Amino acid sequence: MSNQRKRPNGEREEDEEEDDAEGIGGWERDYVDERSWEALQEDESGLLRPIDSSAIYHAQYRRRLRMLSAAAAGTRIQKGLIRYLYVVIDFSRAAAETDFRPSRMGIMAKHVEAFIREFFDQNPLSQIGLVSIKNGIAHTLTDLGGSPESHIQALMGKLEAAGDSSLQNALELVHEHLNQIPSYGHREVLILYSALSTSDPGDIMETIQKCKKSRLRCSVIGLSAEMFICKHLCQETGGLYSVAVDEVHLKDLLLEHAPPPPAIAEFAISNLIKMGFPQRAAEGSMAICSCHKEVKIGAGYTCPRCKARVCELPTECTICGLTLVSSPHLARSYHHLFPIAPFDEVPTLTSLNDPRRKLGKSCFGCQQSLLGGGNKPGPCVTCRKCKHYFCLDCDIYIHESLHNCPGCESIHRPKSVSMEE
Amino acid sequence: MIFKIEDVTVYFPYDNIYPEQYEYMVELKRALDAKGHCLLEMPTGTGKTIALLSLITSYRLSRPDSPIKLVYCTRTVHEMEKTLGELKILHDYQVRHLGAQAKILALGLSSRKNLCVNPKVLKAENRDSVDAACRKRTASWVRALAAENQNVELCDYFESYEKAADNALLPPGVYTLEDLREFGKNRGWCPYFLARHMVQFANVIVYSYQYLLDPKVAGIISKELQKETVVVFDEAHNIDNVCIEALSVSVRRVTLEGANRNLNKIRQEIDRFKASDAGRLRAEYNRLVEGLALRGDLSGTDQWLANPALPHDILKEAVPGNIRRAEHFVHVLRRLLQYLGGRLDTENVEKESPVSFVSSLNSQAGIEQKTLKFCYDRLHSLMMTLEITDTDEFLPIQTVCDFATLVGTYARGFSIIIEPYDERMPHIPDPILQLSCHDASLAIKPVFDRFQSVVITSGTLSPIDLYPRLLSFNPVVSRSFKMSMTRDCICPMVLTRGSDQLPVSTKFDMRSDPGVVRNYGKLLVEMVSVVPDGVVCFFVSYSYMDGIIATWNETGILKEITQQKLVFFETQDVVETTLALDNYRRACDCGRGAVFFSVARGKVAEGIDFDRHYGRLVVMFGVPFQYTLSKILLARLEYLRDTFQIKEGDFLTFDALRQAAQCVGRVIRSKADYGMMIFADKRYSRHDKRSKLPGWILSHLRDAHLNLSTDMAIHIAREFLRKMAQPYDKTGTMGRKTLLTQEDLEKMAETGVQDMVY
Repeated sequence: MSNQRKRPNGEREEDEEEDDAEGIGGWERDYVDERSWEALQEDESGLLRPIDSSAIYHAQYRRRLRMLSAAAAGTRIQKGLIRYLYVVIDFSRAAAETDFRPSRMGIMAKHVEAFIREFFDQNPLSQIGLVSIKNGIAHTLTDLGGSPESHIQALMGKLEAAGDSSLQNALELVHEHLNQIPSYGHREVLILYSALSTSDPGDIMETIQKCKKSRLRCSVIGLSAEMFICKHLCQETGGLYSVAVDEVHLKDLLLEHAPPPPAIAEFAISNLIKMGFPQRAAEGSMAICSCHKEVKIGAGYTCPRCKARVCELPTECTICGLTLVSSPHLARSYHHLFPIAPFDEVPTLTSLNDPRRKLGKSCFGCQQSLLGGGNKPGPCVTCRKCKHYFCLDCDIYIHESLHNCPGCESIHRPKSVSMEE
Repeated sequence: MIFKIEDVTVYFPYDNIYPEQYEYMVELKRALDAKGHCLLEMPTGTGKTIALLSLITSYRLSRPDSPIKLVYCTRTVHEMEKTLGELKILHDYQVRHLGAQAKILALGLSSRKNLCVNPKVLKAENRDSVDAACRKRTASWVRALAAENQNVELCDYFESYEKAADNALLPPGVYTLEDLREFGKNRGWCPYFLARHMVQFANVIVYSYQYLLDPKVAGIISKELQKETVVVFDEAHNIDNVCIEALSVSVRRVTLEGANRNLNKIRQEIDRFKASDAGRLRAEYNRLVEGLALRGDLSGTDQWLANPALPHDILKEAVPGNIRRAEHFVHVLRRLLQYLGGRLDTENVEKESPVSFVSSLNSQAGIEQKTLKFCYDRLHSLMMTLEITDTDEFLPIQTVCDFATLVGTYARGFSIIIEPYDERMPHIPDPILQLSCHDASLAIKPVFDRFQSVVITSGTLSPIDLYPRLLSFNPVVSRSFKMSMTRDCICPMVLTRGSDQLPVSTKFDMRSDPGVVRNYGKLLVEMVSVVPDGVVCFFVSYSYMDGIIATWNETGILKEITQQKLVFFETQDVVETTLALDNYRRACDCGRGAVFFSVARGKVAEGIDFDRHYGRLVVMFGVPFQYTLSKILLARLEYLRDTFQIKEGDFLTFDALRQAAQCVGRVIRSKADYGMMIFADKRYSRHDKRSKLPGWILSHLRDAHLNLSTDMAIHIAREFLRKMAQPYDKTGTMGRKTLLTQEDLEKMAETGVQDMVY
């Protein structure tokens, strides 16, 4: 209650303060920016206490993991490693609202930037394009490309919000762009939607069917509330629909789209793709790069087929059109195909008498004690294969970043070594 | 799943059951054991119908020696079909598990309009003309005539049904109206008469309220039901109004003119018969002298609507001498019409009790009470004798006789009100004479007396102790169930102040205040910008809605709303409203978003669901009190106070709040759904008003949400919508089980219900 009452006042005061930004003290600004009062909650007896969100986050993460592994269990794992993703950002009137700080628009841009970097990190073979919606019209900010910097630059240059939003226009535009890409690529759209309605020139249902037909996987992240049409769109095209509760949640939801989605079985035909592995140019050698038409010294790679110089990998050779990658890129995409099975949750009650549990009272990953306050066993998980225990933080780290189980890797197995050879 | 409730094995067609459904069954079973009536309130969307059906059919199976019959009354044909659909699933399940012994016969019964398969009859546009078109082809004298004359048209379906005679039976199974028509078409039997015939053999009958409550219809359809019958009234929150309407008649000037025309026609017919077939009239006279029962020995097709008075109030006597002869009866009716016409000429509002009305009728027109009482039966007999088939043309005279019989029969619980014009349009003379019934218990009393158990159930029956008083019966069980939710999917709020902190209300002295109108407008403008898809608004009356929207239009508020969402209205025209609703749904579907302006107590508030994205928010502007200056309402309030000791204020509040609850209840139709409800009036924050809301709304109404202003409401709405958009676990989390499996139920049987559920 208290924060509900405070909030409108807080906003008003802050708006005034924003006007004379010079006069605001640093400590004060921190306070205003972080909105620390929102992390408080009133319990039944009216006491204020901080919201303990770590348990909730972990529960959400577990559910996500289970969902992914359940989807993968049924069929052979196939993942689209070469993705062509358009990120559509809604810069209509609603994006100027300030329920996210400083505004929805600013937050969206900030996290899309992070997302683009993460995306290329995880999917070095993929490409991104940016589209914005403003005044009921969809504009192409950048065409499909593999360079994070150029996308981010284009995005940051265009931060203003006005007019209505039109989902149909955006979909039509993206559809036009993505229809031309080769068949081995996975066509995806990620829409950040802040408006609550869409003013369309025609029948949006037809557009949705069109997208479905050309295998466009559309996902939507809403910023205010669940909308039927978005849900319908995602259901039809096999995408994910989610609504962000706060800034942290928005970030999580965005990053969820960074790993490649499971490929739809019927579309996933195996294809051979011709790729080149260019050599890095020797130090000090001078050449004109084919992408910027500039003279560069040292940096760059040489296409193995036409010997043209390019600045960054991965890319497509501008002269002969060959896909150029380096082997670490391929390797980085590889782990998506062999995910670690989700760890089992250890029930707290029975584990007390578990002899193995007594042995390892600390997390195998970080060596921190697994005992919570008052020597009570805290929540932990265990790997199915090596039966080592891990704390919740390590659980997330292993599955989302490391992609290797430290327990399994450290077991000395001569057999498996011979198999690998 | 199959489980035991005490000694009854219940067959439930789904794998999981909600805890409240289980509790509902337990209570219902106790009521059946006690052979008493019960009153059960359970929110919509919790599977009331299936819980009810599966318990009662299972109860029947567990007591093979004393089979009970189920009569299920619904308000609309649509609900009837839905109920039968559920029953079908249940029946299949039971047959699969128990084999042939679980087979039952269940059917829906409706008017000829819904059941007829004869294309020529169906061409008629309304119910009465379908009835008449059917009679024209099936009346006994028409068929007798057809035997001699080939040119007389008959109904083939009826003929072959008659030919099959006793062999015309429905095999066991569940028949919706559609199935009945299909069956009739295949066999060539008339589905309507077949269904009517099968009612006495059926185990489950689904039909509308009228078939039990309106004595005119109940006398024919429902008189053969045995005592061991369980009668269920579903969605029964307005049952008192249905009861009252069943016994109320209104006469306008057009009715009288029509009745006069009818009398002329009858007169001509009498003359014709006198010339050609005088014997018939004499035979009728003799029959009346002997006081033979007027009904009973007639064939099914000749049956007409029965006497409008309740069965135990009908005198079993011979018709009085002065109306035995056809001409005399016509004279009496003419005098009655003349008298009524004279009364309608009045310039003042008049209110009279039936007793004084009858005595003045006696002194001025010379018609005594006993004569009046027999009017309806006498007319019936006369029309039969005259072989009149186009009954729809004779509706006015029937209405008048209806009126006469009721006035002659009842001295208490009614009053006669004559209004020279509609209160709202005083300059247009539109005299109306109304015989209005004030006592809902009159019409429903025979139902309570005749049947072993009567179940009254609905989503909104609060306050639950008022219904037994209104309907004067003693329930053995009366309970209100809460909804067990996996998440708090409804968010009721009481908004008392606008964004400028001034109170908002539709109280009479405040409603035209520009500040209130502006605040209401601002509330809606802000709400449409944070709520996705559909928003529904309810106003207290059409005139208030028209007024406030006109003002909003002038001040530009309406324009601001249309920037966010399209706007649709309910009007008094049904076609227009249907079109508006259709477009509203399309606007919600395609993502444009829409607002629907509607009126409490209107068609939309009663029968249309705004579930899922069609209604994410419902705003109730004001408290929907009845029009308190209405003469009929005042008379009813007076009667309620004198007879049942119900205070006027209490009844009005009760009635307003049940309407409000009905309106806001439109948004949530299942547990997976979510929606917000805003009660925008400062009076809702008062305890006496609020406490009359149903328990399932109250339990979600947090104290912090009782006294909100617009900006706070907006903030809550934002948070709520975000929270609801998150994925959730359907089976409920640790503490609260909301979906029970077979094992849960077995555990429950051991430990007792209460500890498990809450």
